Amino acid sequence: MSEQLVTIEIDGREVKAKAGAMLIDVADEAGIHIPRFCYHKKLSVSANCRMCLVEVEKVPRPLPACATPVNDGMKVKTQSPLAVTAQQGTMEFLLINHPLDCPICDQGGECELQDVAVGYGSDVCRYVEGKRVVADKNIGPLVATDLTRCIQCTRCVRFGAEIAGVRELGATGRGEHMQIGTYIEKSVDSELSGNIIDVCPVGSLTSKPFRFRARAWELVQRDAVAPHDSMGSNVHLHLRNGEIMRVVPKENEAVNECWLSDRDRYSYQGIYSEDRLTKPLVKKDGEWQEVDWKEALEAAANGLKAAAGGDGDQLAALVSPNSTQEEIWLAKKLLQGMGSDNIDYRLRQGDFRPGQPDRPWLGMAIAELEELDAVLIIGANPRQDQPLLGHRLRKAAMKGATITYINPLQLVLNYRSSQWVTTPAGMLEELAAVGKGLNLRRGIIAQTKAEDRHKALAASLKEAGKAAVLLGPMALAHPDASMIWGLADAVAESSGATLGLLPEAANSTGAGMICEAENNGKVRELLENPRKGYLLCNLEPSLDLHDPALAGKAFDKAEFVVALSAFRGDSLDAAADVQLPLATFGETSGTFVNAAGDWQSFAGAAKPLGEARPGWKILRVLGNVLEISGFDQDDCGQVLAEIEESLAGRKPENKVKVDVNEERWMPAEGMARIGDVPIYAADPLVRRASALQETVHHVEAAVRINAETAKGLGLEEGGQALVSQGDGQATLPVVIDETVPANCARVQSALAGTEKLGAAFGAVTLTKA
Amino acid sequence: MGFKSQPMTNVVETPDKGSLFTPEIRARIDKWIVKYPEGWQQSAVMPALRIVQEENGGWLTTELMDDVAAYLDMPAIAVYEVATFYSMYELKPVGRHKICVCTNVSCMINGSDGIRGHLEKKLGITFGQVTEDGKFSMKEVECLGACGGAPMMQIGKEYYENLTPDEVDRILDGLE
Amino acid sequence: MLKTMRDYIKSLFLLELFKGMKLTGYYLFTKEFTVQYPEERAPMSPRFRGLHAQRRYENGEERCIACKLCEAVCPAQAITIEAEPREDGSRRTTRYDIDLFKCIFCGYCQESCPVDAIVETRVYEYTRDPSNRVIDKEELLKIGDKYEAQISADIAAQAKHR
Repeated sequence: MSEQLVTIEIDGREVKAKAGAMLIDVADEAGIHIPRFCYHKKLSVSANCRMCLVEVEKVPRPLPACATPVNDGMKVKTQSPLAVTAQQGTMEFLLINHPLDCPICDQGGECELQDVAVGYGSDVCRYVEGKRVVADKNIGPLVATDLTRCIQCTRCVRFGAEIAGVRELGATGRGEHMQIGTYIEKSVDSELSGNIIDVCPVGSLTSKPFRFRARAWELVQRDAVAPHDSMGSNVHLHLRNGEIMRVVPKENEAVNECWLSDRDRYSYQGIYSEDRLTKPLVKKDGEWQEVDWKEALEAAANGLKAAAGGDGDQLAALVSPNSTQEEIWLAKKLLQGMGSDNIDYRLRQGDFRPGQPDRPWLGMAIAELEELDAVLIIGANPRQDQPLLGHRLRKAAMKGATITYINPLQLVLNYRSSQWVTTPAGMLEELAAVGKGLNLRRGIIAQTKAEDRHKALAASLKEAGKAAVLLGPMALAHPDASMIWGLADAVAESSGATLGLLPEAANSTGAGMICEAENNGKVRELLENPRKGYLLCNLEPSLDLHDPALAGKAFDKAEFVVALSAFRGDSLDAAADVQLPLATFGETSGTFVNAAGDWQSFAGAAKPLGEARPGWKILRVLGNVLEISGFDQDDCGQVLAEIEESLAGRKPENKVKVDVNEERWMPAEGMARIGDVPIYAADPLVRRASALQETVHHVEAAVRINAETAKGLGLEEGGQALVSQGDGQATLPVVIDETVPANCARVQSALAGTEKLGAAFGAVTLTKA
Repeated sequence: MGFKSQPMTNVVETPDKGSLFTPEIRARIDKWIVKYPEGWQQSAVMPALRIVQEENGGWLTTELMDDVAAYLDMPAIAVYEVATFYSMYELKPVGRHKICVCTNVSCMINGSDGIRGHLEKKLGITFGQVTEDGKFSMKEVECLGACGGAPMMQIGKEYYENLTPDEVDRILDGLE
Repeated sequence: MLKTMRDYIKSLFLLELFKGMKLTGYYLFTKEFTVQYPEERAPMSPRFRGLHAQRRYENGEERCIACKLCEAVCPAQAITIEAEPREDGSRRTTRYDIDLFKCIFCGYCQESCPVDAIVETRVYEYTRDPSNRVIDKEELLKIGDKYEAQISADIAAQAKHR
């Protein structure tokens, strides 16, 4: 389309617009409102609702503004008698089959049809015949349907086809019998499915967990940043009496556009789960007792002091990368005040050899992802790890980018890509072979042989206008993560591609900037050589750590463990000596730094449940109790100012200094475990979000192996297998899964039943149980 | 980038199309696929459904529609949409002889109600039903473009025009 | 001088007293209009706005659908509603409280109700102490059940004016 500017006139106002732009877009930009139902700026134009009819001079009939390109000299009237009559007529037709059930409709009060009906509807209904009724369908635990209300705009169908990339909903039947649905009994399983609630202009598709719980006018809207993945999606929290009732996206074209992943949308349910920790707990003679804050903080301070015994190195802090910048900063400061540098956030990292980037990040702005022409992604499943980053990659693919994955799993993707599925050890070979394709000779690259596909990929990375090599959470959890960094860096450097990381958690990038890898502790070392005192922040030892077995032993040996946690759980009950109730997402103020290095601050909106308190306040007061200087901040902003001053404008960077000839820790032979993290098990909050746990993405711990491997081991679907890893053992059901490569067992992490096992990636043995 | 300017193909193509349908049916569908540009095999969905329906005694099961979707590498729901939109795809079993009676205005004026009544009495079924022996089913259709011979009906691929109850009897008795 | 004389004669013959006695005598023999409450009651309009009630349909199903319009319209913010899907999936209140000390008996709740669930009855004789100021759903339904005949008659009587 040409960039030529044309001048048109809308309602007597002169407006400049790009030639070929749709009239409705031009009017929107000029602030002239044209009513619409089926038009959505992010979806294709279908022009089927006819609500946006306007009069164009010299055209005898009204034209739909959403499907009329602008021409120079065009004169448009949106309020002329012809336009208004046409819009009123459309409205009357739309209301023929729309039920008058606004009082029980969740959309009531925020409904586009209601709003437009006030403007264009008649107060009298001339239609007296029977109305159409459509049976509701069960499309899963997240979205409720009331299809009688549907005005057949097909926004949800187009959303599925164009944004979610999965055609799950369709419009079956014809004319009056047209219905939105799945035709067969089926749930809508996209990881972005909740967005169909937002695009639906009426109350046909509404949020199931929110169903009937509040009306739009009762809700107070507060801004926040989503706490699960490294997108840092902007959200609106809707509160009623200080309780979060729902989460909806806040438009930010640079980050989440106008979408939100289901995980960010529905995880708020976890805040009000039954095992929420609402009072400080202290373990006395092996029994947990509720105490007041003063006693708990004193117990924590005294315990830590006694455990350290004057030697700061005996203390360590493990903070979740979902913690805010302020929490991580104060935890670090607290430890420094006690003479320790042992703080780390890389809970799921498998390899801590030096040379990996200190402050890793995406390497580009989020919106730049969709402009890439060639992408190599190693050890990641963006659809699951960062659903909306996955959406950006999909957009790139739809524009023609070649996307290649090197993974230990066959992914279910919604765009065309090459997937090279291999064992965890084989991932290095594949990556090295790409290096060989780029005529590199360093380290293990020299020993591999580049096949045609490697050469083709190397060439496409080199020739592409914009290319990137991206590492994901599975690459970081790999026992040879440093080698993967080294190889990826070599490939990126010689092909001119950008090296980046798809961080797993909301504040991974920010945490990296505070806890610089080289100067501070390393999770694995801190657990292998158990310290006497630990401070745990916002994590569950058996589920959020790379090696739960190792962690269990370390915490058993420790003299004193203080846990800041929003929830109670068995593993925390076993590990900790003091549990301090932490405010969650929505209840605390703070700052997250997303994958692209954007600092996004937010204020607390909801009242913390019970006696829970924001993490930064707990740590600040703990600092006072420990009599450490520099803990006199009055609000979150002061802590943030302190962090910014200390970082002195330092930016994240992916500087890799790895010799790609290091020893490889992942054995090439034998059975290998693939311990990726399921989408709805990633952190303590989402694990307790009840509706998400009812979706098809909820998984129970199991051994997933392909049929051939199973046959070799004498295992079969539905049987039980004994998984041994180090000294840890677990008996788990066997599931035959052809997405898993041969000689690999996919035993996903962060699931109950895997706490006795070791590292997420490593050697395991399977036997029939 | 709407789904109107791009084929609605599945990301994962069906690897083994040889297991779908019989070689004869595949050959018939393939003839239609080659009429469209490369990658637009979904455009052959209507003839494919028609062919599959013919081979299945005049109606489509969900499994058959799924197979068509797999064969053309398109989402199953898109095939359901097509099959439910057009009235000549049958989604429930029909008789060996599908009697399509036109009830549009020309036929109605010329006595299609009487023809319908006669058929109902004779066969003991009404529109949308199948006789117990599975021989006949009745269907109400919109104008078939034979107003000059109203009232009319269609059985199989034949048009029968200028009907009277006696004529209907004669036609039905002549069918196997 | 003359005025003093006239006043003197008036008071001498008790003229003012007779004037008053005349009025008293008149009302002694006309029809009386005070009522002997509580033995006798004044007539009431069908639009009388007394104590609230919640109604049911004839099959015993509660009418209220938790649309919260009454809560929104209430100028005294006396109504508190909480809702969630009932087991059968229908939209129902789990809490419907009216603070009778806040209520100003304006009748807006009744006006806004799309299903005639919340109504104000003719009941005006009740006492509540400050510790018991809130009337809950159960109690409202009980009042509704008790006076249903009167309520439906009142609604029918007004229907033609709406």
